[in-house]
Amino acid sequence: MKRARKPIFFIVAILILAFTFVSISGVYSYKGDTKTTYVKGVGDIRWGIDIKGGVEATFSPESSGKKVTKEQLDSAKSVIETRMVQNNITDYELYADYSQGKIITRFPWQSEETSFDPESALKELSATSVLTFREGSEYTNTSTGSDGETIYTTPKGTTAKTTFLSGSDVKSAKAGVSQDSTSGQSTYVVELELTSSGAQKFAAATKKVANESSTLSIWMDDTMISSASVDKTKFGQTGITGGKAEISGNFTSDSATKLANQINAGALPFKLTVSSFSSVSPTLGTSSLYAMALAGIVGFILVAIFMILVFRLPGFVAVISLCGQMALCFAAVSGFFPFMKSFTMTLPGIAGMILSIGMGVDANIITATRIKEELYAGKSLDAAITAGDKNSFWAIFDGNITTILVAVILMLVFGPTNILSALFGASTTGSIYSFGYTLLIGNIGNFIFGIYTSRAMTRSLSAFKPLRKKWLYGGAIHEAV
Amino acid sequence: MKQFKIRFSKNRKIYYAISIGIILVGVICNIVFGAKLDIEFRGGTQLKYSYTDASGAVTQTEVEKTVKNTVKRDASVLLNKNVKNSSGTATTNNVTIELSGTDAISVETQQQIAKDLQTKFTNSKFSLIESSSINPSMGQKFFVKCLVAVAITIVLLVLYIALRFRKIGGMSAGVMAIVALLHDVCMVYFTFIFFQMPINGNFIAVILLILGYSLNDTIIVYDRIRENRTEMPAKTPIGELVDLSINQTLSRSIFTALCTVMVIACLCVVAAYYQLTSVTTLALPMMIGVVSGCYSSVCIAGPLYVGWNEHKQKKQKKGHAKPQAASAEE
Repeated sequence: MKRARKPIFFIVAILILAFTFVSISGVYSYKGDTKTTYVKGVGDIRWGIDIKGGVEATFSPESSGKKVTKEQLDSAKSVIETRMVQNNITDYELYADYSQGKIITRFPWQSEETSFDPESALKELSATSVLTFREGSEYTNTSTGSDGETIYTTPKGTTAKTTFLSGSDVKSAKAGVSQDSTSGQSTYVVELELTSSGAQKFAAATKKVANESSTLSIWMDDTMISSASVDKTKFGQTGITGGKAEISGNFTSDSATKLANQINAGALPFKLTVSSFSSVSPTLGTSSLYAMALAGIVGFILVAIFMILVFRLPGFVAVISLCGQMALCFAAVSGFFPFMKSFTMTLPGIAGMILSIGMGVDANIITATRIKEELYAGKSLDAAITAGDKNSFWAIFDGNITTILVAVILMLVFGPTNILSALFGASTTGSIYSFGYTLLIGNIGNFIFGIYTSRAMTRSLSAFKPLRKKWLYGGAIHEAV
Repeated sequence: MKQFKIRFSKNRKIYYAISIGIILVGVICNIVFGAKLDIEFRGGTQLKYSYTDASGAVTQTEVEKTVKNTVKRDASVLLNKNVKNSSGTATTNNVTIELSGTDAISVETQQQIAKDLQTKFTNSKFSLIESSSINPSMGQKFFVKCLVAVAITIVLLVLYIALRFRKIGGMSAGVMAIVALLHDVCMVYFTFIFFQMPINGNFIAVILLILGYSLNDTIIVYDRIRENRTEMPAKTPIGELVDLSINQTLSRSIFTALCTVMVIACLCVVAAYYQLTSVTTLALPMMIGVVSGCYSSVCIAGPLYVGWNEHKQKKQKKGHAKPQAASAEE
């Protein structure tokens, strides 16, 4: 019986250390210059704006007392969204708070950006948007957005010269479903409604485009958001009249809504103002990260030394388990597990992780002191370990549940959509959210590693003859087994 | 094994006195110094620039004057020289500008401030490192939200304890644990007051964490009481039972607190060295909170629980005595 348990220690320890190593380093392969990431490591962690540097801002519409509708807020949101993409900011968070009529955003500074100028970035994001309908679809630059779609910017040639309509000519745009009269298939479309002068301009424009078999493109500021051709046989004579039009294409429900929002934004009746904002420069964040890493490593070493000196063999086991717990924390924030989204880490998030080093050995301490007690009560080594494990379980359970409860509340209250949203509106995933998350993962890790793997390792080691001395488990020195 | 035999419940008045003493000092400090709400909660504007200053031209009064000219509002300026960077060498100087009033400023004004500072001190490269400008209404909302979060947490935790420790009088155990919690919350609050740290999101994070930590500590003690209750004769006085339980779990309480404090202390020292205010104001109160949490669960929660139960027993005895007397009369 006892013999069979021996290899368990090595299996568990090697698994934990391998997991620790992989979760820190990640697994990559290089084919020429392209790097393929199989497993994400510490290097892939997304850092929050307090580390990477960045901006958090709240925009509110300047509506002179009038209530802003949900549609208008959505439109304003898509203006900001379009501009973010245009500025090559892909890693942003953006929330519309309908109850308060506000839009909240948070984005890190781009790494390739050398000058840090949050003020002009914000001004750019909140500037009144210009929507234009232009002839042709000639562009100067292309880039790829975060969703893999190509973005065309800066009109040129005829497109730059000829503007048919502007935002004020559009009354409204909305996503709709159109049914083909012959095939009966329904497709998503964007329905446009124009003002009376807009309708005239639109008829002329579509007539021209149809006859010259050119295209009609829609631009927001400097970015082309759509381009469409006009059916010559249908509209070649008069153009599209009546002030109503449909843009069809390969739309999904989402992309149709997005385009409609963008078009509406060009006709927004209000200006956006930045009501609150904060920014952090990248340099400040980098030194904080370095400092936190240093604190974490020194703290880990101190705890390791302490545990081994005080608890000897169970202490040694605890250190291995603690490695596993930290690895789980890294894995949970780097996107190591395919089913968990990568998480934005902030300074308090790292503090939560460091804190969980200290609290993480608690399960081991409780078990080890219990084993020690049983040994002093005169039990044999095996009986002491069994009793110690059994008696400490509920204390660890109750203790951990309370901390987990707190962590969950932190996440629920300070997350983007939270249980208090109805009362206080949406918010960005601020630093407190991140703190709650790492605390939660640390505690779950403490539960898994501090209880199960620690125990398996201790039992397995206690099967080795040279390790069967009671003093190794906290008993008096030189006492027989 | 050395078994502690500290008579916690008998000496409880001493512990109460110590805690009440500290709380009194804290309250006095609070009255004298006053609490400082961060702009995160009350709204306002704070800007931090780094600059180089070879000639020593940048002075507090000069910066103050320039900013006042730009914003037409009073401003307080704090110069912070020789700030260390990530390699530990002193490189730049920082200036923190706080505008009076609670209204946020516009992006344009902020740009203007930077521009004016640059024109005034041509040779010092001013660059923005941190800025926050928050509207008072948003700050207040955030503050209330934090308070609601703390309240929800406390209620849930009491319910959990009451449920898990029914056998040893769940509600009294729960209430006493909460008294110990409030004690720790006070200590954390006084740390903020004493070190003149502005009360912000960090404060809430520490409070919530300490709620979890301190309760965790108290629960380990209660768990022992629950276990000993079933093992010891039913007539054992409650004081003896609790004292034994506390002494048995004492080494664990101290070791865990020690490990936690050790790690937080590292964080605190490193953060103080690199002058990372946002981390220091998280780590320092957290350290105090952990120590207080350990103390309160050993010296406050347990003895209070004994006091409560002894009081209840006395009442019960009296209650018993009366009906007996009544029956004797018959």
